[in-house]
Amino acid sequence: MKKSIFFAFVLMSSLLFVACEKEDNPTANNSTLTSNVVKDLVADTIVGLSNGQPVGVGKYTFYSLENNTVVPSTDSNSNKWDIAFRGTSILTNAGTSGPGAGGAFVYTGTYDELKTVSPDSVFKKDSAPSSYAIPSGSNRGWYVYDPVNNLITPIPGRVLVIKTAKGNYAKVEIINYYKGGTTPAPSASDEIKLKTQRFYTFRFAHQANGTASFQ
Amino acid sequence: MICDISMMMVNVDRSNIAPDFSCMWRFLLSISFFPLAGFSQTNTDSIFNASLNEVVVTATRTPRIMGNLAIPVSLIVNKTMYQSGSLRLNDILAEQTGLVITDNFGRGIQMQGLSSEYTLVLLDGEPLIGRTGGVLDLSRITIRNIRKIEIIKGPSSSLYGSEAMGGVINIVTDRAGQHKTDASIRYGRFGSIDGAINVSRRFKNTDIQIASNYNRSEGYSLKPFAIQKTVEPFWKSAHQLNLHNRISDRWKAGTGMRFNTSHIDNSIAVHNLGNTIVSKGFEKNQEYNFTPYLQYQVDKKIKSVLRGYITGFDAMQQLDVKDAYGSYNDKFNQLFARLEQQTDFHPTQHSTLTLGAGIIKEQVSSNRYDSLSTTRQNQIIYSFVQHEHAISERFTIIGGARFDANKAYASVLSPKLSFQFKLNQRLNFNASYGRGFKAPDFRQLYLNFTNLAAGAYAVFGTEVAATEIKRMSDAQLLEQTTDMFSNLSILKPETSGGLNFGIKYVHPNNLHVNLNIFRNDLSNMIVTDVIAFKKNRGQIYSYFNLKRALTQGAEINVSQQISNTLNIQAGYQYLFTADKDVTVAIKRGQVFQRSASNNLVSRMGLNDYGGLPFRSKHSGNLKLFYENPKGFFATSRIIYRGRWGTMDMDGNGLINRNDEFARGYVKLNVSAGIQIRQRIKLMAGVDNVFNYKDIIHLPGNPGRVGYLDLQFNF
Repeated sequence: MKKSIFFAFVLMSSLLFVACEKEDNPTANNSTLTSNVVKDLVADTIVGLSNGQPVGVGKYTFYSLENNTVVPSTDSNSNKWDIAFRGTSILTNAGTSGPGAGGAFVYTGTYDELKTVSPDSVFKKDSAPSSYAIPSGSNRGWYVYDPVNNLITPIPGRVLVIKTAKGNYAKVEIINYYKGGTTPAPSASDEIKLKTQRFYTFRFAHQANGTASFQ
Repeated sequence: MICDISMMMVNVDRSNIAPDFSCMWRFLLSISFFPLAGFSQTNTDSIFNASLNEVVVTATRTPRIMGNLAIPVSLIVNKTMYQSGSLRLNDILAEQTGLVITDNFGRGIQMQGLSSEYTLVLLDGEPLIGRTGGVLDLSRITIRNIRKIEIIKGPSSSLYGSEAMGGVINIVTDRAGQHKTDASIRYGRFGSIDGAINVSRRFKNTDIQIASNYNRSEGYSLKPFAIQKTVEPFWKSAHQLNLHNRISDRWKAGTGMRFNTSHIDNSIAVHNLGNTIVSKGFEKNQEYNFTPYLQYQVDKKIKSVLRGYITGFDAMQQLDVKDAYGSYNDKFNQLFARLEQQTDFHPTQHSTLTLGAGIIKEQVSSNRYDSLSTTRQNQIIYSFVQHEHAISERFTIIGGARFDANKAYASVLSPKLSFQFKLNQRLNFNASYGRGFKAPDFRQLYLNFTNLAAGAYAVFGTEVAATEIKRMSDAQLLEQTTDMFSNLSILKPETSGGLNFGIKYVHPNNLHVNLNIFRNDLSNMIVTDVIAFKKNRGQIYSYFNLKRALTQGAEINVSQQISNTLNIQAGYQYLFTADKDVTVAIKRGQVFQRSASNNLVSRMGLNDYGGLPFRSKHSGNLKLFYENPKGFFATSRIIYRGRWGTMDMDGNGLINRNDEFARGYVKLNVSAGIQIRQRIKLMAGVDNVFNYKDIIHLPGNPGRVGYLDLQFNF
């Protein structure tokens, strides 16, 4: 625990340094901010049951926010990816998850309101298996699980603030967890709910110039 | 002798004398401080207006005339229940203003926006037990042998102890000693059969009443071709015996005995990734009540009653799972015993003092908690006092308090205060404030439940949570505990403060208008929260006194006797509910919602908040009762329930979007009947004429149901 706080401090101070340095060059902002929507990103879709629990093949889907593209899993031990998805678990490229200078935290507020990353923000790093920068579990990070209807819903007003492997900033809003960006009706069969889940729809903005601004 | 006041002073529920109207009349005058002339135009026998001259006992624990009560109370008489074609308690309550029947864990009642667990249901003054998920299933109770139902709303009846927060419903069974025998049989859709026999006799000093009821149905399926029926085939039986003995002019003793059984077939289909696992079995609930009492009339001013009560509720479910999972057995046995002494003093004719004390022993054993061999017990000692005083002919005040002390959770004091002011014979104002409570139940204290199917979550009661977490932690099963784990503490009772303000208006032209404005502030409400995460990410919950809520609204009832044969009644309730902490968070701008059309997230405003789930902002009814002197009657009852929030869809845990509401509905129920030669009553009816269905939100509503009913008086 103390270690991670220490890491966070180191991380934060380095961020501040980076942020200050880049702010000297504010004109580049407009051209370096990219906004994208990613649809139906497969995140280890369910292939069967094990001990009554649905399981996939257990592989993460790695994604580069810098390049807006999926990264082959053979490159998982590199700085080529920034964020990875497997079921409801999300990794960032740092700590126990990868060699990058990444990190993340969950911001409460709307996506549009988040115009700049506050300098006192604490970026966490993944520390498997006990703690992740984006906490997994219902109502802990980005989603709630409804055990009655067996549905996963992204919590509105949660934005994932990501530091990419290279140390740039991005903000990610997860919009839906089901195929086609549509959550099945609560009355839909379990089969439909299981077969259509683990398809992410999310939007993100990525600031390539190293500043903390999303404007 | 017949009109000895001592005879009338008995708890009217169990009065063992035949109703003698002249005697009743003098009795009423003796305890009422106001001229009744203004009300005397109301026909006491009328089914239409639960007449203001009726004697009710539930409001103050002593017999009182309804028109003189400083507490909102309503009454449903047997004739209304019969003509409305009601068989079970939920049938008739569903047609009353401000009462909503819920459809989770059986038929529960919602009153003033408070759910079933906050409403006390009494049978002849004694509380019924056997709740599932806090809900007392009202369909357990036949009303074939019920004389009247008294309903007190709000916690002004806090003298009844735990659960009397939203209100109290007292079901009063038929009088003994009436020399009558009747039998009835009903056939309805879905192979529904209901048969009942009631016998009432008097032998010298002993009065007896016997009632038996059998009810069955083949159930129904709202989804065609489903393996599992929406309502599975069931049968229910109820047997009751009441005995009263006048030992002397002053002493009276008696007992009531009741035995209830219900049996429900189970055929449960679980779909898992295309595999369908079918389990077959049954559910069986047995309930028994034993209510001996001894009453002593010291003199005209003092009466004392010693009441005993033993009741048990045994539930079991047995399923044979057609797979490798083996069989499933669930057992729940609850026992409740109470001894209570109540003394009523009438120091002057303007005041009544009621003193009482009692002891309750409760025990539960269930394999939901531990093993069946471990019995959880609690003992409660309580006392109460109430003083009613008529300060002037126009102004009456009632004050009272109850104190409950026990071992398992914190003690609680429940005070109440009511006023009534009669401006004139037409207009009458009342105001009351009361505090009620609900004790933490055994589930919240001792539950030890792990669901392997749905997300592998677990729920532990507060008394067992710490031990279980330690055991799991030692076995390396936990990922981590949460901050809430360190907040685990002894549960406090849930409490509410209720304020009621009522206006009653009676026009000589047989128009009655009743307006009641209410507000209930609930605190220390018990909710679940996550205390730990398992390694497989399953969540572990326990219970906390966290939530504060508010329900407020207004209820209006109007009835008009249009002619000797026709009566029209209309009722409406406006209800506003809120979780107070949600309201605070919304005001602080910490709550968000996602649009259903464009997925955009915005801050929620107070106007977007739909309040507590399952509450309808608007509900009402319109009823017509026709009855001619030849014994023919016809009724038409329209019941309206406005939309209500059901589930969160956008992940904020709140009711805010339109797709999070169930559609409102209108139900029309009709019935007609005729009496042939004083002995035979024939009735036919159709419930839900418009055939309204909502498979998802109203599984207990099968659509249109017709029935035929034959009653024979011997």
